[in-house]
Amino acid sequence: MAKTKIDKLPLARKERPGPSNRFGGFDVVLFIILLIFALLIIFPFYYLFVVSITPQEIYVNNPLTLWTPRVTFDAYKSVFNDSRIWGGLKITLILLFGGTLYQMFFTVITGYALSRNNWVGKNFVMNMILVTMFFGGGLIPYYILIKTLGMINTIWVMIIPGAIDTFNMLLMRNYFASLPKELEESAKIDGANDVQIFVKIFLPLSLPMLATVGLFFAVGNWNSWYNGMLFNSSQNLKTLQQVLQDIVYTPSSGIPNPGKIRIDDESMKMAAIFFTIIPMMLFYPFLQRYFVKGIVVGAIKG
Amino acid sequence: MEKLLIKRKQSYAYSFKRRFSASKFLLLMIIPAIVYYAVFCYAPMYGVLIAFTKYSPKKGIMGSVTDNWIGFENFKFIFNYPSFWTAFKNTLIIGSLKIIISFTSAILVALLINELRMRFFKKGVQIIVTFPHFLSWVVVASLFRLTLSETGGISYLVQQLGGQPLKFLSDGKLFLSLLFSSDVWKEAGWSSIIYIATMAGISTDLYEAANIDGASRIQKIWHVTLPGIRPTAILLLIMSVGGVLSAGFDQIYNLTGSLNNAVVLDSVQIIDVLIYQGTFGGGGLTMGQTTAIGLFKSLVGFVLVITTDRIAKLCGERGII
Repeated sequence: MAKTKIDKLPLARKERPGPSNRFGGFDVVLFIILLIFALLIIFPFYYLFVVSITPQEIYVNNPLTLWTPRVTFDAYKSVFNDSRIWGGLKITLILLFGGTLYQMFFTVITGYALSRNNWVGKNFVMNMILVTMFFGGGLIPYYILIKTLGMINTIWVMIIPGAIDTFNMLLMRNYFASLPKELEESAKIDGANDVQIFVKIFLPLSLPMLATVGLFFAVGNWNSWYNGMLFNSSQNLKTLQQVLQDIVYTPSSGIPNPGKIRIDDESMKMAAIFFTIIPMMLFYPFLQRYFVKGIVVGAIKG
Repeated sequence: MEKLLIKRKQSYAYSFKRRFSASKFLLLMIIPAIVYYAVFCYAPMYGVLIAFTKYSPKKGIMGSVTDNWIGFENFKFIFNYPSFWTAFKNTLIIGSLKIIISFTSAILVALLINELRMRFFKKGVQIIVTFPHFLSWVVVASLFRLTLSETGGISYLVQQLGGQPLKFLSDGKLFLSLLFSSDVWKEAGWSSIIYIATMAGISTDLYEAANIDGASRIQKIWHVTLPGIRPTAILLLIMSVGGVLSAGFDQIYNLTGSLNNAVVLDSVQIIDVLIYQGTFGGGGLTMGQTTAIGLFKSLVGFVLVITTDRIAKLCGERGII
């Protein structure tokens, strides 16, 4: 029941019949403003992509290259030949799969426990969690904690502290709580134990919300750089985003050139950026509705 | 009377026991969460005590608290430290401007998308404008730095049209505008989602009644749509006030190229940057001093949320606390 309710959440006001629904001058203005906004968002991607496949001599003569007569993938070859990129990709993929699974496990079981009624100490735990949304220790005590735990310069610092995300946990909790209570009661009458009720009944019914939360975690892991920057100094532990920082923020990037072709630094930087966002660009249009569902449901309930 | 009390006590103990054993599985499930929040949220809260000490890493937090307690010395120091007040001022200005700009831009985008009557285009636009939210500041900053650099394409175009090369990355004031525009570019679309969903929930009766009254579309927006999203807007505004003193370390760190852009850094020196640089970037502050700054920041943030909440309630809104 709850599932259909969420699936049917309208994203925009339904078109209404009637004379006022004609496409008029007002709509043309709206259309143009939105079109400009959308183009402003697309422009950097388009521009960087074109430059990344433009030969150096054309780009130097006209930095505003919006179309290239000759396509070259030399910049991408340099990126692929850079061991830093692959090292970063390795770490990021470990975070993407290992970290996401780990976070999902702890976030989902916490959300489930807090969605069930009437167990001893539930209110206390709930308040203990909510307080952390308003108060925190700040950067330095956190740093000392991580150091005390011996996680400096390990990959664990990018995984373990992320076990539970309070926002995602509350999303899961609210979703579990919205499922009908009769499910649990009838399963109990049929002789199912608590584990079975959770794994066989509640988890399968929560797939849409599990997908949403999983995607939020996955994106977070793909974009991870802050903890690595703060706590790790070893090159082997740099995430893809950190490698990208190294490449883009250094005035002259140190990517080795394949062969003898001279390649412009700028186009290599742009190719490196593209390398890190292409997975997102490919998947996002199909996954957008899951993200939207998450935030809409979370906001309405929370 | 006495008997009754004993009986009641017994039955309470009994039901407690029964409830306890009935919720064994759930209690087992919640243990990791208790450990997690105790270690990663409450331990650092205890750690703020070093703000009152001359922290020595060798002695640890406990040792520093017992041996090196100096009371409010660190606070006296930071309140007399000129960079602190500069950072505080910058943070307030940047943080509050950001809240105002992102608040209005999100509602504006939501109104535009909500009012438009082209289904297909609307879907496409929503996908495009929400996408940048999911990119890291590393990527967004890289896109902006390369597109708007002095030797980049836009700067070239401006020069061809007779203008000066763009100095977004080398002029403090222009850099601030880059801060705000990149924030809108990244977040306006995503933040609008929540408003669009709220607008979808406004009763159609209200619009029909407005139609009968002969209201124009602008009038309908002003008298129906905007009042309809007011509770949501105020809720989100109160919540964002808590973050005013954060003002976006991620964004500033990346747009300045790992804080390496000394030319513009002065104008975007916010509290978080001061804490970070003071401790890790050779800023020469002790951990006790930077913790004091952090503690001051959370206290002010908390007071701001409470105050905004009170004001909202006085104005007859719902509030969050």
